[in-house]
Amino acid sequence: MSDIAIELHHVSKKYRLRRGWFVTSLGNEVARLSARLLGRAVPPREEFWALKDVSFDIKRGETIGFVGANGAGKSTLLKILSKITVPTRGTFTVNGRVGALIEIGAGFHPELTGRENVFLNGAIMGMRRREIQEKFDRIVEFAEIEQFIDTPIKHYSSGMQMRLGFSVAAHIDPDILLIDEILAVGDASFQAKCLNKMAQLKEQAKTVVLVSHNLTNIREHSKRVIWIDHGTVRMIGDPDAVVNAYLDHVTTAMTFGEGSSERAERVALDKPACILDVAVFDHQVHPQSHFDTGDSVSIDIAYSLKAPVPGAVIGVTIQDIHGYPLGGIVTDPNGVQLSSEEDRGILRLTLNPLLFTKGTYTLDAYIGDPTLKKYYDYRRTAAKLVVDGAGHTSLASGHVHYPHRWEKLT
Amino acid sequence: MFEHLRDIWHHRDLILSLAFRDVKARYKQTALGAIWALLQPLSMMVVFTLIFSVFAKIPSDGVPYPVFSYSALVFWTFFAAVIGQGTVSMVANKELIRKIYFPRETLLLAVFIAAALDMLIASTIFVGMLLYYHIPLTLTMLWVIPLLFLQSLLALSVVCLLAAAHVNFRDVGHGLPLVFQIWMFATPVAYPLSLIPEWFRPIYMLNPMATIIDGYRQAILHGRPPDLTALGITMGCVLLFGLVAFSVFKKAERTFADVI
Repeated sequence: MSDIAIELHHVSKKYRLRRGWFVTSLGNEVARLSARLLGRAVPPREEFWALKDVSFDIKRGETIGFVGANGAGKSTLLKILSKITVPTRGTFTVNGRVGALIEIGAGFHPELTGRENVFLNGAIMGMRRREIQEKFDRIVEFAEIEQFIDTPIKHYSSGMQMRLGFSVAAHIDPDILLIDEILAVGDASFQAKCLNKMAQLKEQAKTVVLVSHNLTNIREHSKRVIWIDHGTVRMIGDPDAVVNAYLDHVTTAMTFGEGSSERAERVALDKPACILDVAVFDHQVHPQSHFDTGDSVSIDIAYSLKAPVPGAVIGVTIQDIHGYPLGGIVTDPNGVQLSSEEDRGILRLTLNPLLFTKGTYTLDAYIGDPTLKKYYDYRRTAAKLVVDGAGHTSLASGHVHYPHRWEKLT
Repeated sequence: MFEHLRDIWHHRDLILSLAFRDVKARYKQTALGAIWALLQPLSMMVVFTLIFSVFAKIPSDGVPYPVFSYSALVFWTFFAAVIGQGTVSMVANKELIRKIYFPRETLLLAVFIAAALDMLIASTIFVGMLLYYHIPLTLTMLWVIPLLFLQSLLALSVVCLLAAAHVNFRDVGHGLPLVFQIWMFATPVAYPLSLIPEWFRPIYMLNPMATIIDGYRQAILHGRPPDLTALGITMGCVLLFGLVAFSVFKKAERTFADVI
């Protein structure tokens, strides 16, 4: 048996973008043909390459992580590996039984009982009936739904359905396991179960292909990481190196507020109030974007008011790398007053200590009416904070490092 | 081809699971349950008897019209159900097709098994009618088995093409009921084959279902074996057609997930 689990040779995948075959696709072809006959420039076919000339191989027993922006081609790649679709060009070999934790519980039928669905779902994933019978007790136990196994699953909570789906998928005993974003769903105990299962497969020297936006998980579990960018392999290698390169790329690709004051000035002409600039400083008021957990951070927000806006407030919202809001801070209308007498001002917001764990965070700034039902100006990703995380705080999960103390009582 | 057939055999548990799901889900939360499988051909028989026999006085080869029409309706309903439900089965299971790979023809075979079960239920009434009208039970009736095999092969071949087409052009699903209405009247279901003038027969018999449906009737109601030449030719054509249709389906299957 070869020691290569997955091998891709110059794999490309083309999708036709079509809405209504006759209207778009046929119309497009007619347009192309007539353009060619008339000797004009031929309009391109409405198609796009989700993967372009992708080659790599994965060894047996290796855990490989895939990173890349949404739409970069990761899902298409997994679809090819799990035989859901075929590449337009190129060849690939997969040695061994493939199990996919891509859409757990796909094919569950709400009217069937848990037991019936286990057999249906197991069969869809390629298990024989006898095999499911042998594993049935373990599947039910792992899903923790013993009492409800003969209830139609339309009466299950979504969490129960997910546990059952995952449990079936986890018992396929594949040689190669594909995992897509599964760690992003479910509660913490469910995620812990997923991670344990993955660790167990790794011990059994199974091949695991992991796709996730959770870069911490990717970094921790993968032996190598492949960065997919616009359908091509941008980088393959050591998890730390690839994840860091990817992070740098993502954060610099964002548009930041710098250099846009001029534009803000123009916009301000027809807005009663606007945010002019946002800048981040360390405790010595040096411009800075890298911090450690526990540092003092100052955020200066320059604004202008063109007309009297009674009770206007200024606020910031901080998001994680995926744009998920982590918290917001707004000026108290009874505290700091924004007066329209002076048409410009700078507010300083100080976060001390900085409670975020290792990661990259972005900051939106806005100015609005006191109830925040109306925004006069909203600046998306006006600034970024890169937190390196001090000491063991970088091990913790989540984004917040809570002020705390541990005591040994006995 | 052999490899595909082995793949189907390997997935027999999946086919049964899907068929079980289709049957169970279909009659869940219905008061009548499986009686619905009877009502479809039964109500057609009542309507046909009223219109074609009582009002229009169409002959039925000396056999009481209800059992005459039911002997065709039982099998026609099966034929129409396999193709009707099979054609839309890919799209009906699109969530599965987008997310998991399994041989897609298992969905067609599951529809086939579920429809066969319905036919079996509808046949109970048919047997009752044969006894009631004192139709003699003979060994010639066993011709039903090869005829049913031929019909199944034809239905599965047609549905392979239509299901693949429906994934790409939903027009197929819209046009299907219309085509089936016409097809049924082009087949001796409501009237006897003897009603078709000799000169038109060569064209009329191009419809393989005409040979098959008339075959059932001859074997069950009249105790006559079907015309072996016609049956042989039909079988040859259907086999060839089936090979082509299945290959087309397997080729189209590769991109189902992209276009569905």
